[in-house]
Amino acid sequence: MRRIATKTAYLGTLAVALGLGLAGPAAAQNPAEVKVGLLVPLSGLYARPGAVMRMGADMAIEHINAQGGIKALGGAKLKLVLLDSGDTTEKAKNAAQRMVAQETDMVAASGAYLSSFTLAVTEVTERAQLPVLTLSYSDLITDRGFKYVFQTSATAASQAEQCLPEVMKVAENATGKKPKTVAIITDNTGASVASVKPMRERLLKEHGLQLVVDETFTPPLSDATPLVQKVRATRPDLLFFLPTVISDGKLILEKMNEFGLGQARVPTISFGIAIAEPDMLKTMAPELLQGVMSCVGSWGSKGHEPLMAELKAKYAEPWMTQNAISTYADMWVIAAALEKSGKADREAVTQALRTLDLGPSKYYPGGLIKFDEKGRRVNAGLTIVQWQDGVPKTVFPLDLALAQPIWSKK
Amino acid sequence: MQFRSFLPILAFAAGFALLSLAVTNSYYQLMLTLVLVWACFGLSWNVLSGYTGLVSFGHAAFFGLGAYATALGQNHFDLSPWLMIPASALIGGAAGLAIGYPTFRLRGHYFALAMLAYPLALLYVFEWLGYQELTLPIKRENPAAYMQFSDHRIYTLLALGLLVAVMVLSLAIERSRFGRALLAIKQNEAAAEAAGIDTLAWKLRSIAVSGAIAGMVGGFYAVVLLVVTPPSVFGMLVSAQALTVTMFGGIGSVWGPVIGSAILIPVAEVLHAELGARVPGIQGVIFGLAIIGVILLAPEGIYWKLRDRWRRRAGAAATTGAAVPTEPAALPPRTPPGSDAPVVLRVRNLSKSFGGLKAVRDVSFDVPQGAILGIIGPNGAGKTTLFNLLNGFLPPSAGEVQFEGRDTTGLKPHALCRLGVGRTFQVMRPFLRMSIAENVVVGAYVRARTDAEARRLAADAIERVGLSAIADRPASALTTKELRLMELARALAGQPKLLLLDETLAGLGHGEADEVVAVIRRLAGEAITIVIIEHTMQAMVRLVDHFVVLDHGAVLVDGEPAAVTRDPRVIEAYLGKKWMANAPA
Repeated sequence: MRRIATKTAYLGTLAVALGLGLAGPAAAQNPAEVKVGLLVPLSGLYARPGAVMRMGADMAIEHINAQGGIKALGGAKLKLVLLDSGDTTEKAKNAAQRMVAQETDMVAASGAYLSSFTLAVTEVTERAQLPVLTLSYSDLITDRGFKYVFQTSATAASQAEQCLPEVMKVAENATGKKPKTVAIITDNTGASVASVKPMRERLLKEHGLQLVVDETFTPPLSDATPLVQKVRATRPDLLFFLPTVISDGKLILEKMNEFGLGQARVPTISFGIAIAEPDMLKTMAPELLQGVMSCVGSWGSKGHEPLMAELKAKYAEPWMTQNAISTYADMWVIAAALEKSGKADREAVTQALRTLDLGPSKYYPGGLIKFDEKGRRVNAGLTIVQWQDGVPKTVFPLDLALAQPIWSKK
Repeated sequence: MQFRSFLPILAFAAGFALLSLAVTNSYYQLMLTLVLVWACFGLSWNVLSGYTGLVSFGHAAFFGLGAYATALGQNHFDLSPWLMIPASALIGGAAGLAIGYPTFRLRGHYFALAMLAYPLALLYVFEWLGYQELTLPIKRENPAAYMQFSDHRIYTLLALGLLVAVMVLSLAIERSRFGRALLAIKQNEAAAEAAGIDTLAWKLRSIAVSGAIAGMVGGFYAVVLLVVTPPSVFGMLVSAQALTVTMFGGIGSVWGPVIGSAILIPVAEVLHAELGARVPGIQGVIFGLAIIGVILLAPEGIYWKLRDRWRRRAGAAATTGAAVPTEPAALPPRTPPGSDAPVVLRVRNLSKSFGGLKAVRDVSFDVPQGAILGIIGPNGAGKTTLFNLLNGFLPPSAGEVQFEGRDTTGLKPHALCRLGVGRTFQVMRPFLRMSIAENVVVGAYVRARTDAEARRLAADAIERVGLSAIADRPASALTTKELRLMELARALAGQPKLLLLDETLAGLGHGEADEVVAVIRRLAGEAITIVIIEHTMQAMVRLVDHFVVLDHGAVLVDGEPAAVTRDPRVIEAYLGKKWMANAPA
């Protein structure tokens, strides 16, 4: 009996395996369609950012095809293949394995939101020699000596280096003075600690800044008063503020407003896109967020206005986050690589991506559309956004800024 | 253990290997590997929770430690997983001991919840250590030395090797003294202790083996996934995966986790692949509903459901011929021990109070070798407390108990059992699916050094209570009388010199009680001394040589059955004053 039970199960698996395996299409010589993958979380905890990435990809594919498809391939249209990375590393790896096993004619892909998912996915795609573009920040992604992964954002370490001097420039532009004192309020989660570490150890000193408050708390916070009181007592020129849990951020911002430190009276800077997502407004009033800034890998900026309007009209997204604009840009980069290679072939597209040199970047902030030997976009910059009247607007770099920063002159 | 019992495992492994070799699609091959990985992890959980009944919600702790050990070993010291996976097993086993020792103080739900805390704590520790993301570096040269293969079938075959080893180990545990001890703990930890089993030692062995398997599987999982993050190896979902595949497939069986994993892992993935991109999230709903449906239809898992159905069909044909043997109703003649017989149990001035309540007061009596002593009394007379003082479950407040001339006051149950004091329990909790022989053998290990000797002692005990003809029948098919006799056989398997019987006649019909009485009398004839407590007198009158009647915790009357039943004090205690008129003058 026990054997019969297991045997039936395996016959079932086998049947499924054979059925789906045979369904895999064969690659044509002169394709009317070229398959491009998007492997992002479409279900589970990260479904929302995944959905926004899909919007960006869909818009890009539509635009590329409307402009005549890939001319080097006789006007072949791009076709987006969606794969759900789910909400665990294992599911992401499974999805990647499925992608390389079943979509044998796919030429390139973009993914996979979380750095840990991207790491797992690219372990698979590297072995299958499928090029993947990613907006994930982790340095490890392009530190493994991989040849088929291309990182379009500045890496986490590079962002940490860039953010502080850029913020100093914003401050100098706004006030005419260099900031001198800094406060740090951070929780003890991994990402926050990693962002703060280089500042504490080196960067603050290098920029002649004095650390006057350095507070680390464990989420969840029950009372923000002691933290905010220290900020009030020292009145720093900059406050780096790194909560991971929204409720902690809310508590601190509420207390800062109560103490009259909100509304950018103490310039408050965060890291990453979480604090600038539309979802923030579901739990916080726009007035609380007024003036809060964040360093992000990219953002809807000057020159992207038609895209932002289209996104709003089509999907009711109030603004264009990194997830939408970066994924939009990825599709254009893949299209450019196809034009350059003139072949719907993974290896040829990878070669083209490695040697691509299209000059200054249009959709990613700063740098070039060109990848170095590690697969990192050359001179990738970052964007500083600031909450103004319920919308996080790009305020830096100046050539991309959509608004003037609000900055207290004390 | 015979080679034959491993044949199904080998047949399964051969079939799976053939299937794996036939699949060339790397994605399906990955599914085959993951089925085996999660089956192994389910088996690891089963070794602790399936066999002992102590539910662990925290097996991810061992799994994650193994995964991190393997990943860190390669990252920092360039150690190959070939080396680190066995090392992960050692780490998992050590973690099992370290976690088990303090946590086994808790029982039931408290144990389950405490176990939940370990992986959650470790998750934060590894985040704090800065190991949010680890990868196993790609080895472009000599990949095989680092367990990296471009042919995915090799991973499946390696996993299959692991699974076969774990299944054989599980089966060996299940069929040995180790497995019996764990089952006895699952059934009734107090009774296991009374049967001479050192429960803490066996539980620690079990969690060490379980942790070692989980650590090893975790190490292999890291090699398959190539990326290790705290949520992917310490997360709640990881611990839950072990429970889900085992509960779905069948708890407490070698095949349960394998069946559960072979069905759930591919189904979840197919749903995810087919529906995830179209109707995101629907896969979770369908998967959840399917699990609920199966649990409702087969609450103990698919394996047991199928096995029961098959047994019933096979059993229906087999049992029609075999009639239940009945004991002759005529009682064997009996001569009570003479006054010169040595005293086996001597009780002197035994008292026990709970706060202000004096449950047992100043009780003294002697039991000569080969005697049958009945302790009776109305409800609340203190019989059970006295019984627990005799068998070591309670220490007395004052007084002394001597067994064969030796002071045994305050000895633990398993120590008393080793000296030769056996006991039965009023509430029977047999393993319903196991045969009489399998149930009885648990009691034999206190005397037996080998499994074969234990089986021989068990067979002998079954013979003595007259159940030999139906020794292979599952306990679920037994009548109350047969269950009582089985319980008696289990106590006899430990070859006791003194047998303490706790309401062995309760709930039996008139004829049935006589049969049990006949068996007990025969045992007394074999020089086993018997003390039985009961609150009904009927059958007892024909069983015992001597009565001790308790009332309000003290000895009311001590005498021969004929005298005791006529004693006005006994009648008053049992029936009240108005029946006194019926008492013979």
